[in-house]
Amino acid sequence: MPVYVDISRCIGCRSCEVACKRVHGGSGHVNVHFAGDNASVPVFCHHCEEASCTMACFTQALHKEGERTAFDIEKCTGCGLCRLACPFGVVWTDKIAHKCDLCEGRETPACVLTCPANALSLDFELASRRARARAALVAAHGGRR
Amino acid sequence: MIKVDANKCLGCFSCSNVCPSQNITRTETPELRSVHWKRCKEECDLCVEFCPAKALTLVSYDESCPEPTLTFELVACKICGSRYATEPMLKRIESSLPANLQKDSTGLDWIWVCPVCRRNIEAERATRQMVLGRSRKSP
Repeated sequence: MPVYVDISRCIGCRSCEVACKRVHGGSGHVNVHFAGDNASVPVFCHHCEEASCTMACFTQALHKEGERTAFDIEKCTGCGLCRLACPFGVVWTDKIAHKCDLCEGRETPACVLTCPANALSLDFELASRRARARAALVAAHGGRR
Repeated sequence: MIKVDANKCLGCFSCSNVCPSQNITRTETPELRSVHWKRCKEECDLCVEFCPAKALTLVSYDESCPEPTLTFELVACKICGSRYATEPMLKRIESSLPANLQKDSTGLDWIWVCPVCRRNIEAERATRQMVLGRSRKSP
């Protein structure tokens, strides 16, 4: 159950970055990237099915908990291997590892709640449903996609 | 006292982080990382237990034994050239991941690319379609 991004909706406001920092005591796990002036996207943990960070972690501090890639701070030695094992560069080690925990203890992650453009959601199908709806609307008005 | 196996040590942050008496110190320059183990009289073996490479052993205290220091040259990112990790750490990642995860869809050996460039590549991949679509629309 990672957070899904509908890139067509992202306005690059960085609200998700701020929300993440706010609930994680200043160290955030979201980075908004810009493709010139044309598009923006928040980059964060995918909660990979085959998570390489969990394979590199030798104390099992990083582990899979259902679909979530969870982190046990008690077991972390801060060795830095997970940071190097993440293909997307979204695990950090500053004395101790930190990454997206989908806002443990909250029903919905803060970034999803905060996004003013509704670009973030927990629903995998939402982005594709919206894309189909947009296409249908264009077709109904006699336009071409 | 701690004995270090230089062939096994990865140059990671584990032992220096877990040592409760700050007897293991780390110095980092943009190009090099050094780990220094002070002679310690403690019976504690946290660093031994939490060494990912099992490179440390507890030996009896010996005043005449020199304090070990290992220095690692940091590997430069294949893309931006910034130095980001020790070679043994990256080799360790290679050996702990299955081969099919070590290359991305474009065949890039991402392990040898720094985390900052990895994020940039991911953002570029994610926005490619959107950028194409939007640049076509613009006059």
